[in-house]
Formats: sequence, C-alpha cells, structure tokens
Amino acid sequence: MAILNITWNGISAEARVAIDHDLGDADLKRVAVELIRSGEVPGLHIASLPERSFDHFVVDRFDTPEGGKRIFLRPKVPFGSAAPGPTRAGT
Amino acid sequence: MPRRVLFCGVGALGSTAALLCRNLPAEADAELAFVDFDRVEAKNLRAQGFTKPALGKNKAEALKLQLLNLYGVRSEAYPVRLEATNASALCAGAALLVDGFDNAASRTLLAEHAREANLPLVHAAMAADGSFGLVRWDERFRPDPEDSAGQATCETGEHLPFIGLLGAVLARAIQDFLRDDRRRDFLVSLSGVRET
Repeated sequence: MAILNITWNGISAEARVAIDHDLGDADLKRVAVELIRSGEVPGLHIASLPERSFDHFVVDRFDTPEGGKRIFLRPKVPFGSAAPGPTRAGT
Repeated sequence: MPRRVLFCGVGALGSTAALLCRNLPAEADAELAFVDFDRVEAKNLRAQGFTKPALGKNKAEALKLQLLNLYGVRSEAYPVRLEATNASALCAGAALLVDGFDNAASRTLLAEHAREANLPLVHAAMAADGSFGLVRWDERFRPDPEDSAGQATCETGEHLPFIGLLGAVLARAIQDFLRDDRRRDFLVSLSGVRET
C-alpha cells in the first residue's frame, strides 16, 4: 500500500493504492493511467487519458515520517529561473 | 553576526523569492546575498523581479540596488558564475543556500558543494509549461534534466502568476528555516500548494 500523488495538466491529486512501493517506473506509469481513467484518483478522472501520457514524467519515492510510502508522479522541473534564448544563463 | 542567505541564481524564482525575503534582515538577523552572472534583458521584466532601471545591469547587482533603493535593505551581490573553482569562496559563511538555477549542471554543482561543506540547501524548480513546481530540501531533491539543451521557458511572461506563487512558497520555506530550523517541502500546482 502506498500513497500515489499524480500531477497532470496542473492538477495534483492523490490516492491510497495497493501497489508495490518498488514497482518499476514504466509499470507505475501504466498503473497511473488506469487509475485516472477509472476514476480512482479523486479529483483527477479522465476517461480518455492517452496511454503514454506519463512517458516523460518523473517518479519520486519517499518514506514518510509515519513509516508509510509515498510516490510522486510528476512533470519534470528543470527550471528555477527563466533566462531563455541563445545567450541563456548558466545560472 | 547576521546569518547569510545566499541565493544562487536570481532569475524568475530566485529574484521573486529574494524580494519576498526583504523582511529577514530586520526581522530574523539575516543577510541576503546573490550570485548570478547574467544581465537583465527587457523580456526579463515580464517574468522576473526586476524593474526598468535594472535593464542591462548584472542581475545580482540589480537586485542589490533595488533592495537598497526601493526598500532600504542592504545586501551583497556577486556578479559571477558559480563554478567548482569559486563555490567554496562564494558559499563560505552561508547559513542557507537557495538554488534558483535553471539547469541541472549548476544545480548538481551547488548540491555537491553543499553536501561537502555540510551547508543547508533548498531547491526550487518549475516545469516548462508553468503548471507545476517543487520546493524541496536537498535531502530529497535530484535535478531533472531539460528536455533539450537550452530549453527556454516563459519568454513572454505567461507564467508570471505561477512564478509568483512558487517564489512565495520558496520564501516561506526560507523563512521557516531561519525562524524555526524547519525544513518544509512543498509541491505547487495550479490546484494549490501541498506540503510534502
């Protein structure tokens, strides 16, 4: 059992799901698609969610202070500052 | 002696959070300091915490001037690129490092130095589409690579409201650490802010 938090299209929602905390990323992403399609993630029900919606997402796994497991399926966050263009900053 | 908060990268998130920490020198005996080698361009006024007189100036220097001229707050500026050769000197004496960099290489360099020097480090990062962001302490953060090198975000300022929200959450995390030594992680999306 783990708490799975999913952020999709700016909406963040989570559900307690019976999955192995060590489930591989690819399998976890497939499970997440099925959960969202079937409405098992409160606040995030998309029946027509495409199969490969989470291909470029990141999976974070943490132990909670209470001894539980928490998994985050989230978009990549490469940016801290916006310095675009050909002379884009290294900072 | 004031506790130094060193903002590494003062673009969108770094500059926004820094401005929202201007209360700290008076309230929490802190000193704000900034590292950034980049210069303020016109397009930066739409998504970063700079005003028109900053155009053309180094971002670290511009932020220092703004804090002094607009708020009477003194700070320090280092108009250089943080590199392996100067990280020790720049970070020396810092009570807290704040990662506002926009690329994995700089984030990694800063994190490696923080761990080596045993300095607290908080990261802030956002998705390219401006719909999601994280504030995480280094113990639970790993940098995400860009989808492509030099990938741009927010040239038009369209994500400014989200940058404001994420910058404010970062400022909250910084202030909680300085006041109570608390290390709070946050997940920020368009549906709200969730402490994680």
